[in-house]
Amino acid sequence: MQKDFEEQLRPLWLQAQAGDEPAYRQALSLVADRLRGYFSRRMTGFSQDVEDLVQETLLALHLQRGTYDAGIPVTAWVHGIARHKLVDLWRRRGRSERLFESFDDLPEALHPAVHNEAEAQRDLGVLLQALPAAQRLSIVDTKLEGLSVADAALREGVSESAVKVNVHRGLKRLAQLIRGTP
Amino acid sequence: MRTEQLVDVLARQAGPAPRHAVERRIAVAAGLGAIASALGAIGTLGLNAGLADMGLGLATKLAYVVGLLLAAAWFADRVSRPGTPWRRAGWNVLAVVLVMTVLAAAFWALAPSTERLSLLLGRSWASCPWRVAMLSVPALAAVLWAMRGLAPTRPRTAGFAAGLLAGSIGALGYALYCPELSPLFVLVWYTLGILVPGAVGAVLGPWLLRW
Repeated sequence: MQKDFEEQLRPLWLQAQAGDEPAYRQALSLVADRLRGYFSRRMTGFSQDVEDLVQETLLALHLQRGTYDAGIPVTAWVHGIARHKLVDLWRRRGRSERLFESFDDLPEALHPAVHNEAEAQRDLGVLLQALPAAQRLSIVDTKLEGLSVADAALREGVSESAVKVNVHRGLKRLAQLIRGTP
Repeated sequence: MRTEQLVDVLARQAGPAPRHAVERRIAVAAGLGAIASALGAIGTLGLNAGLADMGLGLATKLAYVVGLLLAAAWFADRVSRPGTPWRRAGWNVLAVVLVMTVLAAAFWALAPSTERLSLLLGRSWASCPWRVAMLSVPALAAVLWAMRGLAPTRPRTAGFAAGLLAGSIGALGYALYCPELSPLFVLVWYTLGILVPGAVGAVLGPWLLRW
């Protein structure tokens, strides 16, 4: 199972690392589905947190994709990050909330809602508003409107490397906002 | 936010992944640390004027320290990447110490018994480890900072690796001043000095290397 997934993911991932955008999109979608299953099985009763964690992990994968060494399985690397994010959530929640509280003795109406849609609790627009203007602008131009980095640089009146840095820092900040750490 | 939307945002205009991101970050930090360590050694202790005449003793010392530095850098690289095997890289550091142990033991065995104690203690055993540790402080800060931008999933091990790398850099700087030539001295006191930032890194790791 794991091996099949590796065979499916690896060629896409290597293309994505080389800059192939459709391959990257497809690889991230595959990984997202996989993560949803991985986290759901480990966070019974906290289904509303699952999608948040999926998204936080996807952001981490993106921000850290320079740490992937082509000599090791992509799934091992993805699993390393997913596990890290899960443990991090447990550690942060473990002390203040009882993550594994059983819902068996609660009436049905009080059970947490199960989200079947792949939607997290936070809204991208709201999250973007919390970013410094320069970072928000670069993300909106390149990531939402799909301008090339060169065109975005022209529109924003900054250098191309400044746009790249803004996007990277903005996504990093976004990851922190999703994680809930200021 | 729908996950599909996030995937789209991440992939769009993403470009190629940064190449050699881990190697580059660690190398830059190590380089800055080495400069600081060398300047610190020359500024506070002074450059050893007899360095050029120290021959094989100095060469052995430098080979040991550089060997440790390379092994520790590789160890630090491995633990900065999620899901990447790192144990062998850790054993490599120990292997360098073992090779030096064999060398120092031979040196000790061949020496007349009256000189053995001075081979171990030299003239500066009491100050050597602390000076190595002090000279590694900038490197430790730099390497931990570099690692913060990477993805260590074992913060204590990662902090330890960062400390060993910083310690080797501190030892390299200290060698600019150090008057000792005995491999046994280098093995014991240099290694001890390198383990101090190693331990500090292991303590700081869980605090500093969160992401």
